[in-house]
Formats: sequence, C-alpha cells, structure tokens
Amino acid sequence: MRDELKNINKAFESKVRLGIMSALMVNEELDFVSLKTLLELTDGNLASHTKSLEELGYIESHKQFVGRKPNTTFNITERGKAAFEEHLNALESFLKLSRG
Amino acid sequence: MEKSEALNTLNEIRDMMAKSSKVLSLSGTSSVFVGVFAIIASHIANCILENESLAQSEKTIALLSEGALLLCICITTVFLFSKKKANKNNMAFRLDQTTKQMLWHFALPLMVGGILCLALVMNAFYGLTSSMMLIFYGLALYNASSYTYSNAKFLGYANIILGLIDCATGNHAILFWALGFGVCHIIYGIFFYFKHERN
Repeated sequence: MRDELKNINKAFESKVRLGIMSALMVNEELDFVSLKTLLELTDGNLASHTKSLEELGYIESHKQFVGRKPNTTFNITERGKAAFEEHLNALESFLKLSRG
Repeated sequence: MEKSEALNTLNEIRDMMAKSSKVLSLSGTSSVFVGVFAIIASHIANCILENESLAQSEKTIALLSEGALLLCICITTVFLFSKKKANKNNMAFRLDQTTKQMLWHFALPLMVGGILCLALVMNAFYGLTSSMMLIFYGLALYNASSYTYSNAKFLGYANIILGLIDCATGNHAILFWALGFGVCHIIYGIFFYFKHERN
C-alpha cells in the first residue's frame, strides 16, 4: 500500500458508515429513524452498521422509550471524531499528492 | 484508490453534512407568494384603518382576524411548496430532528413577539405593533437561518432594520410593514430562485 494511504480508515470504506459518521459530525445527536431516512436504508442494514461503529468506539447509542416505542439516538464519540478527521485529512493529502 | 473516488467520497461527506443539518426543502417561490399576500393584506389593512364607519374596537377585531387569516394562508403556502420541492428532489418530507429544531428556533421569537403585539394592541399602543412584528419576525428568521439556507439571515436583517426605522419614525406603519413582509419577501424569493432553483 502506498504510504499516503496508510491513514485511510478501513472502517469508513463503506458508504453507509461514512454517511453515518458525516451526519453525526454535524449533529449533536440523531435518532434511528432520522438516520434511516437520511441514508435511505432499511432498519436491519442501518442497525448492523451502527453496531459495528459502536463496537469500534466511534459512536454511542442511547435507548429510551417514547410512550411504548423504543427510540435509539446516536452521537459521535471523541474517538470517532478524531478517527473521522484523520480519515478526511488522509483523503485530502491523497488528493494533493495525486494532483501533481 | 483512484483520485476520482477520493473526490467523490469527499463530496458525499459534504452533501451528507449539509443534508443532515439543514432543512433544504424551503422554496423561493413560496417567499414570493408570501410577499404578494402581505402586500394585498397591507392594502386591506389600510382600507380597514381609513374606514370611518368602523369603531376602534371593530377595527382592532378586523385587523386581528385579517392577521390570523394571513398567517394561516402563508404557513399553508410555505408547507405546500416545500412538500412539492421535497417530492421533486426525492427528499423525504417529514418532521425530522433538523426540521423540528428549525421550526422551534423560528417559532420561539415569533411567539414572544406575537404575544407582545397582542398585549400592545390590548393596551391600545397601536403605533408600535408593526415595528414589533417586523423586528421579531426578523429575529426569528435570523435564528432559524442556521438550520436552513443561511442567506435567510439577510431577509432577517432587512426586517429588523425596517422595524427599527419604523419604531423611530412612526406614522408610516403600513408602508414599513408592506416593505418588510411584502417587498423584501418578493426580492428574496427571486434572488433565491436564481441562486438555488433555476436548474
């Protein structure tokens, strides 16, 4: 692998995960339904990606009940923010290098 | 990784950040309609005020009902045009968190201003109502602009400035009201159309 690619985070190679991280970067928190609509996903698909991001410690989830309906909200962790910024920087420097 | 792939990824990230933090279904056409309704309404208000066969209390009731009717028509117009725009761009039209936040940021100054205006009318301080409406509407727009197209804040500034001049000068309430709610909305709507919607 080329040197400048070493900071490209494998966890963000999936479009869905990239979408989740981008949306959570600019929002304090987002609930499951909002994320699902934004990314145009099915429940199962979103749940599997949020689960793996949670396992990496990049996002956190909080479950509460609105009436009888469960409502899960997500927010980005400091670690997730740092990892995502590093990923963005890596993408940028890759673009800069390949420009010349 | 290809260069175009990296560029695409960056653009997708940017899109998702904008889409998830801003309400982008508001349309410029609805602003033009709101402006036209406001000018018609200010003309009707002028007729009510100059009608000498009406007692002061009747005038107040007529103006308040007119205002309430205008508010309903404008909210419906904005709602319908936003729905149309969302459908056209394949965006989901629903009350998500961003929309709720925008509505709350917009509604809070507007409600405070509305209650203040009612109190002014009930205490017969008629002269200040038009400028209070303009000022609080401008503040509401400014407040909500961070959750939607940020240029909405300029419409907010315009209304605040007109409101302040109005309260300093007096005697031209209807004129300032028509300038702020009417002319400014129409100009903003046209600007908005050319900037964001022409394609």
